[in-house]
Amino acid sequence: MSGVVEKMRASRKVLAEYNYEPAQIERGYAGKTLYINLSNKNIISKDVTQQMKDIFIGGKGFGLWYLWNAVKPDTKWNDPENEIIISPGPISGITQYPGSGKSLVVTLSPLTDSIMDSNVGGFFGPYFKFSGWDALEIQGKADKDVVVFIDGDNGRVTIEEVDLDPSASHLLSDQLTELMAESEQGRKNVSVVSSGSGAEHTRIGVLNFSFYDLRRKAARLKQAGRGGIGTVFRDKKLAALVVKFSGLSGKSNNPADPAKIARTGVKITREINKFDDTQFRMRQIGTANLMTPMNDYDLLPVHNFKYGSHKDAVGISSEVLRSRFTQKMPDGCWVGCALSCCKAVDDFVPKTGPFKGEKVIVDGPEYENAAGLGANCGIFDADYVIEANFYCDTYGIDTISTGTIIAFIMECYEKGIVNKKITGGLELNFGNAEAAMELIHQMGQGRGFGNIAGQGVRRLKKIFAEEYGGDPAFMQDIGMENKGLEYSQYQAKESLAQQGGYALTNKGPQHDEAWLIFMDMVNNQLPTFEKKAEALHYFPMFRTWFGLQGLCKLPWNDIIPESNATSESPEKIPEHVQNYVDIFNAVTGKSIDQDEMIRQSERVYNFQRVFNLRMGFGTRKHDAAPYRGLGPVTEEEYESRQERYDKQLKEDVGINPEGMSTAEKVAAMRSYRQGRYETLIDVVYKRRGWNENGVPKLEHLKELGIDFPEVVEVVKKHL
Amino acid sequence: MITVNGKQIEWEENLTVDRVLKTMNYSFPKIVVRVNGKVVEQKMWSAYKVPNDAEVQAHHLIAGG
Ligand code: SF4
Repeated sequence: MSGVVEKMRASRKVLAEYNYEPAQIERGYAGKTLYINLSNKNIISKDVTQQMKDIFIGGKGFGLWYLWNAVKPDTKWNDPENEIIISPGPISGITQYPGSGKSLVVTLSPLTDSIMDSNVGGFFGPYFKFSGWDALEIQGKADKDVVVFIDGDNGRVTIEEVDLDPSASHLLSDQLTELMAESEQGRKNVSVVSSGSGAEHTRIGVLNFSFYDLRRKAARLKQAGRGGIGTVFRDKKLAALVVKFSGLSGKSNNPADPAKIARTGVKITREINKFDDTQFRMRQIGTANLMTPMNDYDLLPVHNFKYGSHKDAVGISSEVLRSRFTQKMPDGCWVGCALSCCKAVDDFVPKTGPFKGEKVIVDGPEYENAAGLGANCGIFDADYVIEANFYCDTYGIDTISTGTIIAFIMECYEKGIVNKKITGGLELNFGNAEAAMELIHQMGQGRGFGNIAGQGVRRLKKIFAEEYGGDPAFMQDIGMENKGLEYSQYQAKESLAQQGGYALTNKGPQHDEAWLIFMDMVNNQLPTFEKKAEALHYFPMFRTWFGLQGLCKLPWNDIIPESNATSESPEKIPEHVQNYVDIFNAVTGKSIDQDEMIRQSERVYNFQRVFNLRMGFGTRKHDAAPYRGLGPVTEEEYESRQERYDKQLKEDVGINPEGMSTAEKVAAMRSYRQGRYETLIDVVYKRRGWNENGVPKLEHLKELGIDFPEVVEVVKKHL
Repeated sequence: MITVNGKQIEWEENLTVDRVLKTMNYSFPKIVVRVNGKVVEQKMWSAYKVPNDAEVQAHHLIAGG
């Protein structure tokens, strides 16, 4: 045992203890929720009701329901009553179908002040469930840093003070894994949830969920990344959650029909083995496979989403990143995931920061990291991307928000809105990797300009306007946030459907509700508003379903079955959709079909919309998009794609651009595009059963069976 | 004229699928091509002649985020 861990062990002081008989899992559910209050150190077990299972299913649904009951309309993210809820969902934990080990985390966000949810891999969710719990509700605030230990082997939960350093997540995860495991082999039975020092100093803190890698003998990390959940975690003075469960088997989830799950799993695993190498190469490159095609199709965000490609992007192309992954074997974040998209760079030696000169393991980089930290900031250097990726993870800050924040600041810097004096000497021009890295360290360590940057784009716009005289209208146009959350890394200017896929969301512009760019822009499968609206109904509902069950989205459409070539709706991957219905039925013993699957999501999705309303959000004005996400803001942007935009003015808008100044063309294009976006909102709201202000109609809620009195009361105020 | 993913482009004698994709800048390696509703396999792209007035669908198999 290492000296640090020995010291930690000796320092353990139990503040509260709860002993329990771990519940037997029945058809995917434990039937119990673990509630922990960090203020008064109360630990109790709550029953999961049949109504919860019927209406909210699990995962995000359970999280929303518990949060709804915990907070009031005026609760703020850092009030003690705010909760962090982690729930794996009924399918989570099966080992026979790829991508079945996810957890969903729900809380009030320090970025959006409203409801945030995040889907995350790692071993915590399944181990926690098999320790006897469907959900973990954490409320209150400790006065000193504490660790919550959940020992599923012995039925014991403790809140403890431990002498530890919570600033670097990768070290803390390793140390707590070693502390909790009885032997080296036993480390695979432990999972840690932690954050890092960046979560204490910014609003973009993440939670790192660990999965122990036996080959590397190290805890690897997956992130619940969006919306500052890690910031809430550290505000509660939680240093870590640690779970141990040693009895994992293929039967742990105790499904109704294990044979059916096995059959379905074998079928898709065969597909992966047969096609992955010639399709998306998830096992070789992971999501970084998207770097090259995004640049080729003008969809890679460059210079704060101004452009969609760059001549230097070859420096961080799919192949360059692939050449940096040291892993030669496919690697998954949960047992049995044949798609195994996890990638790592071993023995990476950072050139800067607290781990300068030491060998570290970097998980990633994934597409979002390379696109956001790299291309969007004009930095096309793989070493920089890998180092920035490492530090964001270990400081516990969101790579996506970090990329979009730095890109925004860089544009403001180049426009003279902020200068060297304000940034504390950082020359934050696009492409300045050294300055960007220093800014990440400042954000991670709570120093200098990093304290301001870590507030996120929405607050930066306000600060830059009020304190430095920046033009609020211009910053509103170029600040890529909606609802307070930073955009994820796709250039969607030429896809109206994706513009809606980003901004007509419940939590903000993360592409996990809908990714429609190719369907819309390239394949032209959504030529009318009605078709776009149908896609903006179906896909967000379908993808919400993964979050109810504890599933990963990737095995749905990052591997394509043969049957798709002759399918009527190939974009839905119908064979895989049916797989999911079959698995749900095989786990729970229920008998749903594809329509009921969408219904399950619709209930939760609409409930979340009403929850947003209850917190003072969730109406049309909150679905507005920054114009940079819809079209060219500046003349420079227009001129960079002049041929395309002139053609559109002529053919789509009916204006002859000849003789017009660029400024006039920008204005004409803006009026056209904003008009179309408003029409899209109208049609999407109608399709979703909402009124023109985005409020779910009472009859729709009734039809969905979620017209509870407290829901109706909220909605009535808006009708 | 032919239509490719809803956009019109000029037709010419001996126009192959390969040529159509090149004209459209469709460089993505996984595309399912249908000409007038019929799938044309990738190995036939350099030989298959696209007739005038054809409707070509070049469906990119890209999963995205
Ligand atoms: S596809 Fe990747 S992220 Fe999804 S479960 Fe498998 S390894 Fe994890």
